[in-house]
Amino acid sequence: MKFTLSWLREFVEIPAGDPHNLVEALESLGHEIAEFRVIEPTFAGVVIGRVQEVSAHPNADKVRLTKVDVGGEVLDIVCGAWNFQAGAVVPVAVPGAVLGGDFQITRRAIRGVASNGMICSERELDLGEEAEGIMVLNDDYPGAASMIGAPLADVIGLPDVYYEVEVTPNRPDCLSVYGLARDLAALYRTPLRDRGIKVTESGAPTCISVVIEDADACPRFAGREVRGITVGTSPHWLRWRLTQAGIRPISNVVDASNYAMVEFGHPTHAFDIARLGTTIGVRLAHDGEGIVTLDGQRRSLTAADIVVTDGEIPVAISGVMGGASSEVHADTRDVFIEAAYWNPARVLMTSKRLSLRSEASQRFERGADPSFCVLAADRVAQILTEIAGGAPAPQPVDVNPGAIEEWQISYPLSETERILGISIDGATTKELLERLTFKVEGSDPLVVTVPTRRPDVQRPVDLVEEIARLHGFDSIPDTVPQGPGGGLGQRETRMREIREIMVGAGFYQMITFSFIGEHDLDRLGLESGHPARAGIRLVNPINDTEGVMRTTLVPGLLKAASMGLARRNTSAQLYEIGKVFLPDGGELPKQPDRLAFVLAGETAADWLTQATDFDVFDASGVWELLAEKLGLPHTQLRQADVAPFHPGRCAEIILGDGVIGALGEIHPNVVDAYGLSGRVVAGEFDLEELLLESGPWQFAAPSAFPPVVFDLAFALDADVPASILIDAVREAGSDLVEDVRVFDVFTGASIGEGRRSVAVNICLRASDRTLTDAEVTPIRQAIAARVVKRTGGELRGTA
Amino acid sequence: MDHFEELRHATPRRVQDAATLADLDEIEATTIGRRSIVAEARRDLGKIKDPEERRATGRAINDLAADIALQIEVRRTELHTSEVNATLEAERVDVTLPGRVPRRGTHHLIQQTMDEIVDIFVALGYTMVQGPEAETEFYNFTALNIPSTHPSRLESDTLYLEYGDTADEILLRTHTSPMQARHMESHDPPVYIVVPGKVFRADAIDATHLPVFHQIEGLAVDDNITFADLKGTLGQFARQFFGPDTRVKFIPHYFPFTEPSAEMHAYTQGEWIELLGCGMVNPAVFEQVGYDAETLTGFAFGMGVERMAMVRHGITDLRTLIDPDVRTLEQYR
Repeated sequence: MKFTLSWLREFVEIPAGDPHNLVEALESLGHEIAEFRVIEPTFAGVVIGRVQEVSAHPNADKVRLTKVDVGGEVLDIVCGAWNFQAGAVVPVAVPGAVLGGDFQITRRAIRGVASNGMICSERELDLGEEAEGIMVLNDDYPGAASMIGAPLADVIGLPDVYYEVEVTPNRPDCLSVYGLARDLAALYRTPLRDRGIKVTESGAPTCISVVIEDADACPRFAGREVRGITVGTSPHWLRWRLTQAGIRPISNVVDASNYAMVEFGHPTHAFDIARLGTTIGVRLAHDGEGIVTLDGQRRSLTAADIVVTDGEIPVAISGVMGGASSEVHADTRDVFIEAAYWNPARVLMTSKRLSLRSEASQRFERGADPSFCVLAADRVAQILTEIAGGAPAPQPVDVNPGAIEEWQISYPLSETERILGISIDGATTKELLERLTFKVEGSDPLVVTVPTRRPDVQRPVDLVEEIARLHGFDSIPDTVPQGPGGGLGQRETRMREIREIMVGAGFYQMITFSFIGEHDLDRLGLESGHPARAGIRLVNPINDTEGVMRTTLVPGLLKAASMGLARRNTSAQLYEIGKVFLPDGGELPKQPDRLAFVLAGETAADWLTQATDFDVFDASGVWELLAEKLGLPHTQLRQADVAPFHPGRCAEIILGDGVIGALGEIHPNVVDAYGLSGRVVAGEFDLEELLLESGPWQFAAPSAFPPVVFDLAFALDADVPASILIDAVREAGSDLVEDVRVFDVFTGASIGEGRRSVAVNICLRASDRTLTDAEVTPIRQAIAARVVKRTGGELRGTA
Repeated sequence: MDHFEELRHATPRRVQDAATLADLDEIEATTIGRRSIVAEARRDLGKIKDPEERRATGRAINDLAADIALQIEVRRTELHTSEVNATLEAERVDVTLPGRVPRRGTHHLIQQTMDEIVDIFVALGYTMVQGPEAETEFYNFTALNIPSTHPSRLESDTLYLEYGDTADEILLRTHTSPMQARHMESHDPPVYIVVPGKVFRADAIDATHLPVFHQIEGLAVDDNITFADLKGTLGQFARQFFGPDTRVKFIPHYFPFTEPSAEMHAYTQGEWIELLGCGMVNPAVFEQVGYDAETLTGFAFGMGVERMAMVRHGITDLRTLIDPDVRTLEQYR
């Protein structure tokens, strides 16, 4: 809602002063200001003058000589415009005036004749588009004739202040200068200036008849005929105001309708009676029915749309846009000004579906005031009479099949304190509501009658808002209630632990979008039937490449890594925790939280350290760290071959009895597909089981007795996992095994084809005694024997 | 005894001249060590018959030996110190060369901001809860008193999923508010919850829009919750988050699920900034979840996490928050 201060002041007295005061006043009422600025004239030294004489120029036939009275002085001015004669009241830039901020007007000779200034056009003054002729003020500003010599800015009303208010959707009544004035009058405790709307009913009787087929779609249809108008350009003051309100002047008929809409908030539409005929119908459109709208577009309608017809064919899409067939033309003489109340929900759906949001549809879809229809049409008729010479019919059209009456709310005074925390007595409450022009009767409860322009006020709590607004939110004290306390909960506490571990391990947390594309599933090399293939599609994705809800976090991280490395980051060490979306039998998709990580690029090289690639053991290390820090029991990594990983460098993560994820090096094809290179490492697993309640960890006192440490090396078949060896050591050594560490793995001729040597460092320690050689020797033998038995390998040398 | 005299006179010089600990060890061996003149003299003491003389000679030997031992010890300490100093000097490095920095990543700024805000409310006795991101149209809109014709339900605003075959559409929640209804349905009052989470809109990416962003919802429902409680709580939040001198103001606004509704603005870094939307829970919402709107009151608020983070850290483009460039991520400290 855009308007100027001078327009607002026609309806309410605004205290003079800083224009920002009005911003605060409007804000306190709930009308946020998007923009405000002082409108200054771009000219200086331009005064109102009266042309006394016009005569031919002796040396030129494109320009004329004028004598212009500028108040106390008559200036000779050479002028190139021909749209005026003696007697014209015009803007004169006298010598010394400045136009457009930097164009200085001086006395000069034009074709040998002295010219002492310049008579200006709208364009030259930045007051409009008109550049052909000069501004003639006689008709547009009748007062100007008595202001000869006065600054032009005075008659235009400059400087002024421009405001743009963001009116909330619940306040359709404030989508007008008058509506905002009403709220301000209530705030300032000043009367609203109601100048009344008067129509000079001088025209012929109404010839239009109206048939409304659907009272729900159109509860009220009103209008006024105006005959004998002359279509033309609107006076400058009207065009100027519309321009400031963000509406482009078109013609006096359209401008009058728009002016009345900005002024009072009710949109109207003018039909050319000669083109419309004398019958008007209102009905729902038929599916597939068409209409060419004012903008020349052919629109296809549905049974949800309301149309105005000429009795048969649609001539307007109700509340949204008029039709071309009954449009006002330059030759139009008689018009019918329609002012209806349309079903707001229908207007909304229609305008959204056709992508036709207009000033009018915005007002109808939020709810215009059904009681204002006749007045709205009359206001347009009144303006047309003034500026287009029309003669309004002696009576309005007013068909009111779905009359919307005012309603009442019973308001117990206790409601104020219950909701706001402050008590306001009956008299004050009554006074507050009456300032907003609600009718108030009774004492407690008050019986409040709500005007039809306030569809948002339906319940007592809606009145609480009105009371609070006007009484001021600042008058309400600040108190801080304390909740019963519930904290973060186990799940979030655990989440935070996990995030801390990841960050401590050098990972940067990423938050990527929750969408992937079908192509991502292809790039990952997932075979058909893979669970991650069953992504849920978006009905209306943001774009084609993000049309599926993610079933895995890996693509998002690979893309992120790829972008980072493309920007010459040395490495991408990223992780994300987020939901994936999986089809499930239930009402909602399954949305488990997952953790995924990616390592790409290489570690940073510096004078101390060489750069190294990441490999699968960085991935398994991350899991081992998490398992250790989270105290996960019964977890292991199992050699696996699953997409999108390298078939020989991938492990499934086993927790308890189930596989919860996988990790490893990303398959080179996938690395390629995401624009990465080298070894890229990743892992992804379900977090749900890691988040379960696990109880506090229990302390185990470190043994005070010395350890026995020895190494054993085994020659194993190459495909025997080291994990079997380690498990066998722990099994055989049971409680005495404090640590088993693989310290050497190698292959070579000495071990034999298809075999490798794995050497472990074993630390045995008892909690209650010093282990003796006699005790350790058989254990060492037992360990070696168990490993040999489990792995089918052999003990190498003497360790 | 002239050996002794020579020893007494020559030793101090030799000790002083010793250049290394090894030289000093050599001097010690030859002066007071096992094969030294002193040792020999001690062995010869038995040959002296006269007890007086023997005692006197013994004392003299001991005194001399002790004197030399002391001189050697002093010199040894000196030599040791200078050898250590020489080693230290040899080990000198340029400590202004970059150090070996333990690697640590960062929590995402959105995560940090979300955690910090949640913690402020947890300290006020709220419980953190979270809800589904894929949500039903009912909980996202209907339960929150958003009319079936409201434009926010349109596909131009809300992302819908091809899922399920019930009348209730499945969508990506457009705000964290659905948890208001979900939580109240399954919990009796009093309710004090704070709900952080991801939300979605059908918006193309630009400097001020992302299709995926984050909100924090709050809800307090109790016997005597008033607008004063709302003002006090959110004002306190703003002061904790932006600093103790932060001023706030509440201006009337409109949301379908609260009445009265307000926006809280805060004066921070020299300007008034719109921070969050809030209001008293609309009785229509209580009726939806089976709460008694006659006796219960409550307030609710929702804030954009991205906005909070951007205001505080001087970020002007939302896209910064999805940037995977480590030069961005490492700033999240």
